[in-house]
Amino acid sequence: MTGMEKNRWPPGDLVIWIFIMAELLVFGVFFAAYAFTRTNHVELFNTYQLTLDRNAALINTVALITSSYFVVRAVAAIRVDDSRRCFHWLLAALAMGLLFLVVKGAEYHHHFSQGINLNTNTFYMFYLSLTFFHFLHVILGMIILLAVALKARSGGYSAAEHTGVETGASYWHMVDLVWMVLFPLVYVMR
Amino acid sequence: MNQKRLFLRPCTWVYVTLMFLTFITWFVGVNNLSGRFFAFMVLGFALLKGQLIGDYFMGLKQVAGLWRWVIFIWLALVGTLISVAFWQTL
Repeated sequence: MTGMEKNRWPPGDLVIWIFIMAELLVFGVFFAAYAFTRTNHVELFNTYQLTLDRNAALINTVALITSSYFVVRAVAAIRVDDSRRCFHWLLAALAMGLLFLVVKGAEYHHHFSQGINLNTNTFYMFYLSLTFFHFLHVILGMIILLAVALKARSGGYSAAEHTGVETGASYWHMVDLVWMVLFPLVYVMR
Repeated sequence: MNQKRLFLRPCTWVYVTLMFLTFITWFVGVNNLSGRFFAFMVLGFALLKGQLIGDYFMGLKQVAGLWRWVIFIWLALVGTLISVAFWQTL
């Protein structure tokens, strides 16, 4: 993918793009449901939004963006046949993913220790279910990246054949993309 | 080759831009800035960030045809729905 030539298909296996579109559709419905439900509970949503940790959300956003950037570098590395560097970039991306899980896990621990759960109120029902749904996608994305990293380490990819790396990368970027909307919608907009 | 090294890669520029917009969004959040201006500003930033991720990280900028616009269409739909909902309450 260099120069001005355009490709007919997106990077990676086409199946992952069908999957990505399905995932985006689900998240899109979730976001719309949050926004329209909020119209009937503005006070409630504004009040409980203030209980969320924006600093933790910032760390998590930085972690996901950085992780996505590392994955871009991993793809660039394998395109010049550098499996070793590809592996290292993927490990760095996984470390950022792990940071996201730790920070988000700490947030959940804080909420649960205060007795907050899905039944607490409508805002928390959305907040917990939306973010946990995304949390599960981060875990799945990390499993995919780990599998790709291990194959890269064993020389399973090359400049000529690296569809697997691009496939894993596309999924991971989707996880990042969804968080880009989730962060302002749930933590900031009021 | 050496000349290339003097400049940041496009993906690195995108990374810096994403971080910059993220910090502005965070600043709005921690200062509890509310109302239409701030709400739609951070939503706009989110949509821009999404498009940058689609174009430069997912590589759709180099793709022709409908696939090029998959992320844009999703962002436009989601952005419109969120805007309509928030417009009523701000």
